[in-house]
Amino acid sequence: MNTEIQSKNMPRYINPYFGGVLLGLLLLATFFITGRGLGASGAVKSAVVTTVDRVAHQHAEGSTFYSKFLTDNHSPMYSWMVFESLGIFLGGLISGVLFGRLKKLRTEHSPKITSKTRLIAAGIGGILFGFGSQLGRGCSSGAALSGTAAFSFGGLIVMLFMFGTGYLVAYFFRKLWI
Amino acid sequence: MNKNYIYLTLLLIVLAGGLFLLPEKENYQHMDPEDLMWSIVQPTRYVSTDQVAKRIIEGDPTLELIDVRTIDEFEEFSLQGAINIPIDSIMVPEYQDYLGIEDMSAVFYSDDDIKADQAWVLAKRLGYDHIYVMKGGLNCWIRTIIKPERPASTAAASEFELYSFRRGASMYFTGAEIAIPDDEGKQKVQVARKKKTVVAEGGC
Amino acid sequence: MGPLIPQGIITGEWDFVIALLLGIFFGFILEASGFSSSRNITGVFYGYNFVVLRVFLTAVVVTMIGLLYFNYMGWINLDMLYILPTYLTPMIVGAAIMGLGFVIGGFCPGTSYTGVAIGKLDAIVFTAGLFLGIFVFSEAYPLIEGFYNSDAMGRITISEFIGVSNEVITFGFVILALAAFWGTWLIEKRVRKTITEYKFD
Repeated sequence: MNTEIQSKNMPRYINPYFGGVLLGLLLLATFFITGRGLGASGAVKSAVVTTVDRVAHQHAEGSTFYSKFLTDNHSPMYSWMVFESLGIFLGGLISGVLFGRLKKLRTEHSPKITSKTRLIAAGIGGILFGFGSQLGRGCSSGAALSGTAAFSFGGLIVMLFMFGTGYLVAYFFRKLWI
Repeated sequence: MNKNYIYLTLLLIVLAGGLFLLPEKENYQHMDPEDLMWSIVQPTRYVSTDQVAKRIIEGDPTLELIDVRTIDEFEEFSLQGAINIPIDSIMVPEYQDYLGIEDMSAVFYSDDDIKADQAWVLAKRLGYDHIYVMKGGLNCWIRTIIKPERPASTAAASEFELYSFRRGASMYFTGAEIAIPDDEGKQKVQVARKKKTVVAEGGC
Repeated sequence: MGPLIPQGIITGEWDFVIALLLGIFFGFILEASGFSSSRNITGVFYGYNFVVLRVFLTAVVVTMIGLLYFNYMGWINLDMLYILPTYLTPMIVGAAIMGLGFVIGGFCPGTSYTGVAIGKLDAIVFTAGLFLGIFVFSEAYPLIEGFYNSDAMGRITISEFIGVSNEVITFGFVILALAAFWGTWLIEKRVRKTITEYKFD
């Protein structure tokens, strides 16, 4: 934001502090309406449970994990989190269209690595994040952001250790980004 | 650096500092005496022994039976699945964890209504919802469920239905094979069938 | 008055309409702040772009202050908020795994959805990875169930744990956040001079 050259290349993102205030007010509104915060990984969990239930119903019924989320009344996809995540996707789409960032499929990566490396890293990162989000009882939005904002001790722990580990290991993966 | 950021920084500090000026707010919800009176006289705070028996037999997981008698009395006889919170311990925080459970309805009972009513008022005063009292207590339980009285032959059909339910329930709770007269064969079969499925369900 | 849904003021299908609307706002803010780009996000770990820290901490601080004022005004009952239960060790391990995934993958679940929305292939792969990761966890659940449920501390709040009031915690967070904003601004200025490869997409 300092030099002119940079601002030419830069897509028009909103001011981060403004974005933060908006996000804070949204989170406040979410607490006011629902009593619990925002989340994201819950939707993928619903998708996993649904898929497993479709493909191997017996297995899902027998498992202590899946059966927690299965009811006879309706599919696990019929949940608050899934609708919210659908909203995240739509909101991203709207913003992408408004700011002219909606383009054809592309991969963003450091010039030092190939697209393929980036995609493999993204996949591994996703797997780790998915696994960790279950142990951590939520991801960065559900546990770290909403948890901490609601003064939950667990949320603070997740936030500290997530970013802490990030900084610890960042050096080893610097080629992926810079 | 933009000067506005300095103003925003100050604004944030002022807002956060302002929190200290707010008087202490007690979120602990005291009940208005009027509200308390109103809810005490509501008949909906009672559940009948029949309702309780039905929910136990059906294995209703949202039912939470709380025996407010002493430990000795509890060990001597208690309802199936009940937990014991002697009435003088109801204010103990550890026991209170059993009360505010989401989606659970807590039903107090004692020998009669008196102790259970006291426990109910205490819990209500502490701000708990979904709490009930088993009308008539264990005395009524024995009278209606364990040893149901056969209605007079002139009684309405609904009373006979209730009676046959109670007899089925009695069998369920006592495990005793009561000699059953044959004149109500139809209803007997019904009750028996119900009992069977319940047992199967309860196993898992 | 609030929260509305736990008190039954809003019920039924409206629940899902609200979920969709809140999600749309959430997604919009994430994308508009630049979270649909993994290189923007990971900038926080290398010092060339602290947008994550700015948005995140501002949001936390605004929500904390807002909640306390709302509580005072009687608009929201803090005691009725959902407090995430704490399982100390599993949460630390989970958070560490997430941190690793964060640096390698460059997204977190919410931001990857917005990346998918604007056509980022890496975000799509990341989301597929999430699916796989949760699937692996679900299948391995019988093995790690004991660990998963270990160290339970219940729904404990920060103030209960360290024994100071919510107001003090909020004030502390504000000071911390402001210090971080000013500090990272200086770091970012210096780091950006040395980095030439970084271009916004």
